Order: sequence, then C-alpha cells, then structure tokens
Amino acid sequence: MKIKKLLVANRGEIAVRVVRACRELGIATVAVYSEADREAPHVQVADEAYAIGAAPASESYLVIDRLVQTARRAGADAVHPGYGFLSENALFAEACAQAGLTFVGPPATAMRRMGSKTAARTLARELGVPMVPGTLDAVATDADAALAAREIGYPVMLKAAMGGGGKGMRLVRRAEDLPEALRAARAEAGAAFGDSAVYLERAVVEPRHIEIQIVADTHGNVIHLGERECSIQRRHQKLIEECPSSFLDAALRARMGEAACRLARAAGYVNAGTVEFLVDADRNFYFLEMNTRLQVEHPVTEMVTGIDLVHEQLRIAAGEKLTLGQADVAWRGWAIECRVNAEDPFAGWLPSPGTITSLHAPAGPWVRDDSGIYEGYTVPRFYDTLMSKLIVWGADRDVACERMLRALGEYRVVGVRTTIPALTRIIAHPDFRAGRLSTAFLERVLPDLRPNDGRFAPIAVIAAVLAEHERARDIPTAPESAALPAWRVAGIRGWTRP
Amino acid sequence: MKYVATINDDARVVEIQNDGDRWRVRVGDEVWDVDARITAPGVYSLLIDGVSYTAGVLDRDGVCVVDVGGESYEIVLEEQTRHTIRTLGGATGGTRSRTLTAPLPGKISRVAVRRGDTVQAGDTLLVIEAMKMENEFKASGAGTVAEVRVTAGQAVNAGDVLIVMG
Repeated sequence: MKIKKLLVANRGEIAVRVVRACRELGIATVAVYSEADREAPHVQVADEAYAIGAAPASESYLVIDRLVQTARRAGADAVHPGYGFLSENALFAEACAQAGLTFVGPPATAMRRMGSKTAARTLARELGVPMVPGTLDAVATDADAALAAREIGYPVMLKAAMGGGGKGMRLVRRAEDLPEALRAARAEAGAAFGDSAVYLERAVVEPRHIEIQIVADTHGNVIHLGERECSIQRRHQKLIEECPSSFLDAALRARMGEAACRLARAAGYVNAGTVEFLVDADRNFYFLEMNTRLQVEHPVTEMVTGIDLVHEQLRIAAGEKLTLGQADVAWRGWAIECRVNAEDPFAGWLPSPGTITSLHAPAGPWVRDDSGIYEGYTVPRFYDTLMSKLIVWGADRDVACERMLRALGEYRVVGVRTTIPALTRIIAHPDFRAGRLSTAFLERVLPDLRPNDGRFAPIAVIAAVLAEHERARDIPTAPESAALPAWRVAGIRGWTRP
Repeated sequence: MKYVATINDDARVVEIQNDGDRWRVRVGDEVWDVDARITAPGVYSLLIDGVSYTAGVLDRDGVCVVDVGGESYEIVLEEQTRHTIRTLGGATGGTRSRTLTAPLPGKISRVAVRRGDTVQAGDTLLVIEAMKMENEFKASGAGTVAEVRVTAGQAVNAGDVLIVMG
C-alpha cells in the first residue's frame, strides 16, 4: 500500500530529515508541534503542521491519542516516529495500527520482544549470540541486585529495562555504592521511560561501542548494512560516530552482521533497526541491546553505503521488498558524524538553551549538515540539546578526519554554547586519529580537554573589546529593532540584522 | 578607551582607538592594526597584517565568550577605572602604604570601621559608590584603624585619603 501522506511524530533535526525523504518520494507531510515549537524548522518545512499541546513532551510529543487523532484529522495514512519520544513505544505502534495508520517501524510484537532489554537478552541467549554476563530479568529488590552483582562480579552496569540514550545507566564499582546507584537509576528510568525496572550486567572495561544497522522487509528478507562505531560518549550519550569502525575487519563485520540478522529474524523484526554490541580489546563481541528505530547516527551508514535509510524505511512500511541483497551492499570510504549540541562542554556539558543570534553552517565537498536550527531560532529548554549533526565523507579515515576539522572550523553558532570546540579537540586528539577508541576515551581525555591553548588569545581579546565597544555605542539605537513586531522578528532570517 | 581584559587568569590592559573600520588596539605592550567588520550579529571579521580571522562573540552574564580558530576563550572585560576599583580594594596592604585612598571620584555609601578598631585581612573597611556600582574595599592585612577621614554620604575625589591604618 503506497503511502500518500505521513505524519512525523517528532521534532528537531530528525523531523526535518524525515520530511526531506518524504518530499523526495512524493509523500505529503504533516508536522506536529508543541507550544514551544511553533517557530521550529520542522513546522516550516512540512506541508501541514498542527499544534498538539503544551511545551513539556509529556503533554505533547508523548500523548498517543492526540497524535493519532491529528494524523486522522489531517488525512495521513502513515506515521514516522523518528527517534526518542514514542519511537520505541509498542502502545503507540498498536494505536497507529488500530487507527488504520501505517507505522513506519517494526510491528508492536517485535518491538516488545526487542525493545525490552531483558526480553531481548533472553532471545539472544536462545540464539547463541554472545552476551555480557548479567541478569536476564529486571532485579526486583536491592537484595536481589546485591546478590546478582556478587555473582556477576564488580564492576557492574545498571541499565533501564526499557531504556536507551544512556538514561537510567549507572556504573557501580563497589558493593557499598549499589543501593544509591539503584535508587538513581530507577528514578531516572521511571522519569524517562515510565518504567523504573533496571537490570545488571558485568561492566566490560574500556570496550568499544560498535553497532550493526539492519533492514528487514515484510517478506522475510533481512540484511545488514555494516557497523557504526560510537565509542566517543559522555555519560553514555554518543557524541561522535563513524562508519566503518577502524577496529573491525571484513571477517568480524560478517560475523557481527550475521548475528544481528539472526536476532532480527527470530524476533520477526521489520524495518530499520540497530543491534548494539560491546567489543572488548580481544575483539570479542557481546550483544548489548537492539534499538527498534532509526538511530540518530544513521547518516554515517548512508554516506558509506549510498543507501537512504529513511527511503528504505518508507518503502518497507509500504510493503515493498528490499531492493538489495546482502551481496549488493558495499562500503566505500569513511564517514564521521559529530553532534552539535547546545551544551557547554567545559562546564560539565551543561545545557545551554537560548537564541541563536548568528549562524553559519559549514558546506563544501562531502559535508552534510542535518540541522534543526536557523539564525534567530531559540533553542527551547524542554527537549534534548541536539541542534544539528555534522557529517562528512572522505576516501579514508584520515581524509574524513581532516575534512571534519575543516567543517567544524567553518561552523559558527553565536548565542548559545556548543559542543563544537570540544568536538574539534577530540577529532584532533592523537588517540582519536590513531583509532585508539573506547567508551572511556572521553572521560579519560576530558581533564586535558581545554577550551583553548592560548594561541589566539590576543585575537580573542581584540574581538571582545571591539564587541564591548560596539555594545556601548549601539545601545541607544536599540529602539529601532525593538519596534519590529515580535512575530516578524521570529524565524525570519535576516530581518533582525542591523 | 581603556579596558582591562582578564583571560586565563591573566589581566592585560587594552586600549583601542578607531579610524573608520580600522582600529589600533594595544594589548599589553603590543600594538595591533586591525581592519574589523561585523559580518553578522556577534561575528567579527578581522584582518590583521593580511591574516584573516573570524571570531564569534557572545556576552553571557558579563563574561565574553569568544570562539576563534577552533578555540574558545572566556574573557572578563572591564573598563579600566572599574578594574582599578575592584583590584585596589586592598590598598592598605604592603609596606609602601598604610593608607586607603579613593581611586576615583565617588560617594562614600558606608564606613564599616571606627578609629581604634582592629581588623583582619578581608574585613570590609568601607564602600564607595562609583559608576553606579557599590565598590567594597577590604583590608589586605591585619592592623588597627588609626584614622577615619570620611563619613557616609560624603563625596570624595580621586586621591583623597579615606582611612589611615596604625
């Protein structure tokens, strides 16, 4: 059944990304927005847009009934959930199905089987996919957790059963720290996913985070599109991703890919999905969890395989067969993605919401900027801090690194603090350049990650003094711009320029 | 116009003069000839001896955040007089002077000590209102107040002796 009109149940750069794919395929688009998002880019790029509630996500982007009603009222025949929000919520997938809407994602049954981390681990064990030792089920009490932790051996990792995005995760090194970590992990999991269940795993020391992208159609075909390495994380949240991984050879890629496809097939999985693994220093891989949705970092796979994953998702949802077999998938060159977040990397990654007074995004050869911001846009404080994803492609890893540094150098965001200076320093770091990565990389190099080496101190002082001088001179002229009605200023590029 | 720029805990006096789009900027002992243009709000294109720099400048809570050359700087900028007030708060210290003098014209808003009081380092001696700011002056060392020459509400000129320590 061909999709004619699709509602994007999301916001930010991913909503824009999905709208772009729809437009390329001739599918009309419906955006939804909260009270905080009327001026957000996804509202402007979609064909239609409807308000769905107050700013907090729990009163808008997470309200299943309202999303389904909006889709029906707009005459949409499909819903794309993006990532985060309701993307891995089986109730939402079911509600869409019941309303006759095609859900662009896996069926609710597969989502339940793979979305619950504990159910997924049970399945992986049955299939003989290697796993980090841990509890198969959520731990009910603190005493159970303490017992399990002793059996598994410290350090252990606490994880939210329904989790993702690092929420509800805690590393526990000593038995005496367990009760507090449990309390914190449960509270975080409850707040983020509405389910406070947590389970335990042995923590693999300095592992690499390597995940396999799979796509599966409704006709039983499952293929993998290779790996992404996402070892550069802070607080279990990814910051830099790349495809391929400098740690994998063709044989290991084939083995991990085969394991991922085996899991997907057994779960009755359909659409795009990602199987996450930890890989230890001896190249042993362990199944971590499956993300039953499109990943934030999907573009690096697209750049290296030439496959548009959102196009594939939409074709699969429409019931079409995969156009590729496993043998047709080829990987060419190297892609790196950097997450440009509204955060202050040198002050504990503190969120930095605010108005972007000036924006210059990088461009040029093999540079892609999947952005959810514009000049004059105010980054709201209600949602995650991701503003845009900067992706570059190069013939090999060195070329890609140099290109990323070049592109980061062009990226100028004034008005909010961003991760750009930290990203620049990570990409330039000798260990990163040598491919010596692990999920502990960032924490290890962070203390040495200074905002500057003092090279441009005089230039910075000159710019600051000029700005101060300008400010002192400019204040009397402010009424001119203040006279512009607010609605004219908002979101219209260039109009606020002096 | 003279400023004091504090960057990486290092304070430098900066003096700027302009002639159209060209600026002469003295940073410490060095003089820079700068062709500066604002290309977007908060974005400064600087040409210095033919070298091109683009700096993004963001004022956040009185701290100037400058992104240039892939580096990020936090700079506290103060007009020079204001900086003098703030840092000369311990004017009673050292061997060279046991007197507190007013660094600029202002009004005494509060006198915290009386003749004969003993003070410790960090104790507030008095507060001068100048440039719409309350500037607190503290003792830099222990001592006894020998003389208080001003009272609250009194206007003072730069250089006036306010307090003499024994």
